Amino acid sequence: MEDYVVKVKDAVRDLELEEVPVMLREALDAGEAANVLLAAMCDGMAECGKLFESGEYYLADLVLAGEVMKDGLEVLEPLLQAGETRSKGTVVVCTVKGDVHDIGKNLVGTMLKSSGFEVVDLGVDVEASKVVDAVRSNGAGAVALSVLLTSMVNSIGDVVSALEAAGLRDGVKIAIGGACTTDELAERMGVDALGRDAVEAVRIFESFFA
Amino acid sequence: MTENGHGGRPSAHIIACAVVAEELEKLGVPADRMTVLEFGLHVNPDDLKKALREEIAKAPPGDILLGYGLCSGAVTGLSNRGGRLIAPRADDCIALFLGSRKEHLRRLNEEPGTYFLTKGWIEAAGQPFDSYEELVEKYGPVRAERVVKVALRNYTRLAFIDTGLYRIDEYRALAKEGAERFGLRFEVIPGSGRLLEKLLDGAWDDEFVVVEQDVEFTMDMFLVSRKDIEQDGS
Repeated sequence: MEDYVVKVKDAVRDLELEEVPVMLREALDAGEAANVLLAAMCDGMAECGKLFESGEYYLADLVLAGEVMKDGLEVLEPLLQAGETRSKGTVVVCTVKGDVHDIGKNLVGTMLKSSGFEVVDLGVDVEASKVVDAVRSNGAGAVALSVLLTSMVNSIGDVVSALEAAGLRDGVKIAIGGACTTDELAERMGVDALGRDAVEAVRIFESFFA
Repeated sequence: MTENGHGGRPSAHIIACAVVAEELEKLGVPADRMTVLEFGLHVNPDDLKKALREEIAKAPPGDILLGYGLCSGAVTGLSNRGGRLIAPRADDCIALFLGSRKEHLRRLNEEPGTYFLTKGWIEAAGQPFDSYEELVEKYGPVRAERVVKVALRNYTRLAFIDTGLYRIDEYRALAKEGAERFGLRFEVIPGSGRLLEKLLDGAWDDEFVVVEQDVEFTMDMFLVSRKDIEQDGS
């Protein structure tokens, strides 16, 4: 059998948007397991993250990598759900009220999903009350908040307060991320962690659910 | 610190982004009082911070005014050895063009998916979303289209800020063209020189961050709490 694992990993890393779904279908037809292919995709994505950190990839490359992952996941997801995979935990993900930037948020969502988390993505410009509702109705143990605009950082504090007011804060870990986030801000807003990229986000949420 | 007789304005040196500098010139700032830094620096806050630090060190002793907002944290950590350091208490230059942070927040809250654009930005960065051509060259049309779609998918309005500068109609037309091409609703919103005038006039109330000699800017100094916003009535 062809070494689909290496091929898929390389194709994700090389941002082969059109080729990846085709390759995945071929691999599945040839008898490769969906979870093995998913792991290969995640390895490719992690390599993109490294290339971004070293300055070889730009944000546009990461955006494209996110789209490659999305298209690939569409092929694999139905098979994964039928399998024995158990969720590592449920995370509510959104971009905060007043902010519509979602490239980072989507990358984190995709990475969490492909790392075995149940992801409830509420989209962008999300009211604090919606986050509370989603945490409650999904029994989520963690929240990931994305913010790009410094003008909207108070929306993070609004979510923290709303979870406290609903009596849910103790059972929920909150991590923030986005261009304007700093350790100083995380402390000021009373959240549990700050992630600088999607790879770090996965590590953070794994530690939350450990 | 150093006042001159010229219109009662403090004569502090100014370091400004190219897009802001044009507005400052319009308000009567002579070229020799101002250091202008290129617009492209804002893409990387660390590069911008480094450039600002170098220019502050080179500036004549005395107070320094920055024609910048917080700009993704680029101004945090900056300090002035020769006097005070003063900047508008704004997130970025949009508040500077709209006349106040309050107006910026109001415009953003009425439609979070607003892409603001000014004449200066078009001049510095080309026509709106010019980078699309570069993306096509790099990725080919299919992938470039996806990247652009993702980058713009939550934007609904392109708001061209009319600051009343020379040849503004030409740039308004370019902005409109860009909006149409990428399916955004086009609007012209009025700009205001109010905040920049206050900066130049030394009217440094709580709309400004002022630090004494050798004191560093921190992000906290620039952020406005929810309580402040509510008290302000916005």
